[in-house]
Amino acid sequence: MLPPMEIDLDSMRSAVRLAGFDWSDAELEAIRPILERTLALLAQLEALRLSDLEPATQYRMV
Amino acid sequence: MAELGRMIAKKEVSPVEVVRTHLARVTALDGKLRAFITVCGEQALAAARTAEAELMAGRAAGPLHGVPYGPKDLYNTKGVRTTGGSRILADAVPTEDSTVVARLAAAGLIVLGKLNMHEFAYGPEGLNAHYGDAMNPWDGGAHRVAGGSSSGSGVAVAAALCPGALGSDTGGSIRIPASLCGISGLKPTYGRVSRAGVLPLSWSMDHAGPMARTVEDCALMLRAMAGYDPADPTTSVLPVPDYAAALTGDVRGLRVGLLRAHFTDVAAAEVRAAVEKAAKTLEQAGAVVDEVGLAQIEHVPAAAFAVVATEALAYHAEWMRTRAADYQPDVRERLKLGAFVSGVHYVRAQQVRQLVRRDVDAALARRDVLLAPATPIPAPALGEKTTRLGDGPSDVRSALLRLTRPFNFSGHPACSVPCGFTSTGLPIGLQFVGRPFDEATVLRAGDAYQRLTEWRARRPVLA
Repeated sequence: MLPPMEIDLDSMRSAVRLAGFDWSDAELEAIRPILERTLALLAQLEALRLSDLEPATQYRMV
Repeated sequence: MAELGRMIAKKEVSPVEVVRTHLARVTALDGKLRAFITVCGEQALAAARTAEAELMAGRAAGPLHGVPYGPKDLYNTKGVRTTGGSRILADAVPTEDSTVVARLAAAGLIVLGKLNMHEFAYGPEGLNAHYGDAMNPWDGGAHRVAGGSSSGSGVAVAAALCPGALGSDTGGSIRIPASLCGISGLKPTYGRVSRAGVLPLSWSMDHAGPMARTVEDCALMLRAMAGYDPADPTTSVLPVPDYAAALTGDVRGLRVGLLRAHFTDVAAAEVRAAVEKAAKTLEQAGAVVDEVGLAQIEHVPAAAFAVVATEALAYHAEWMRTRAADYQPDVRERLKLGAFVSGVHYVRAQQVRQLVRRDVDAALARRDVLLAPATPIPAPALGEKTTRLGDGPSDVRSALLRLTRPFNFSGHPACSVPCGFTSTGLPIGLQFVGRPFDEATVLRAGDAYQRLTEWRARRPVLA
């Protein structure tokens, strides 16, 4: 399991507001532990060297 | 299903009798097993009478004409509610069948009822707070999860409540319950089977597929389901082969790559032993087995999460604004996490997807199929949150998804078949993975393995 990545409540409020949601502080606090682990997971993506690779944004096998 | 279809075709048994027998079994057992959300008793009997008349008039529509099955309750069924396992859609009655349900109806199959699932397919345990958790039939003493999200499909087939089922698979939701419930399940290639009329979890990762007792049954269902559908622009125009004709039972010369490291090496000891024994069994039958690893696989959990969380929240955004309290807690929490995935994360995840697809393609360049456990652990107890993988701890959810999700991400076809039981009597699933649109070889390998072993014949003891 990855170590968690800290995020404060203000940052959480900003992120969900930008995404168009209005969740209470209590709701955000409840998900903060799992969110911190999730952010640590997502940070792995930021560490990859992928610049030359075309993303699979139109995904067709054939 | 194949055997029932043959008996029906020979008029040794009537579809009406078959449907009545299964409905009686549902009545007797489903109060405890909770495989069904909606039972379609009257409609199923009416369809069985129609099938009987058609067969008596010599108008057989295919090898499964008159055979009942259950779609997971996210396939739209005309006139029958399609809940997605949710409270939000508890009273939603579609006006059209999904493409797959319509195609199976055209092939003469009969909907017995709609099957339980993890709410909105967002969970590999198969839990449902609204309709009750489907119960794994292999352990009557302790409530073990059936695996999900197609939990009802796994339970209904394993407990012989219906001979076949439809599941959907975004991270393993066909193969995980197939593994934990001791049945067969196929996730076809992305684009092989239409998703039109199937409630989405993640458009670019969702796959529709069959679940049944045997690989032969899955092959027959797939033939009836697959093919181009103008209502689903991701479906391929490639022709649909006769999958049953590919089931020769012969694996001589078949090149099999046993997936190591991420796959086999961290699995529970009994799982690892069963899969290694299965590889030996195939080798003794003439397959050429070697070992292989997938170098990019470590990036799948982060990338797949970014894709699924983003797409799932996009689909559920309006309800998450207006009806968030109506979701079961774990699904609501997972959906909320999608709000924290950035556009950059999403695109990088789709870049990783190309890496992973190339990695799997490279492993299959000199091999016909890859072999791995379907799940690294057998069915966990309800409420069990952590387990061990190799030397380290893992949460149960990640463990269940670990070996199946890479092939949702890459889009390759994969099936799970039973390959043994633990010392406590829980099923173990073996996963075959093949080249894009080569379901025929995946099914041939799985069917050959089933002919070489007796695991599929074992039945759970039900009160």
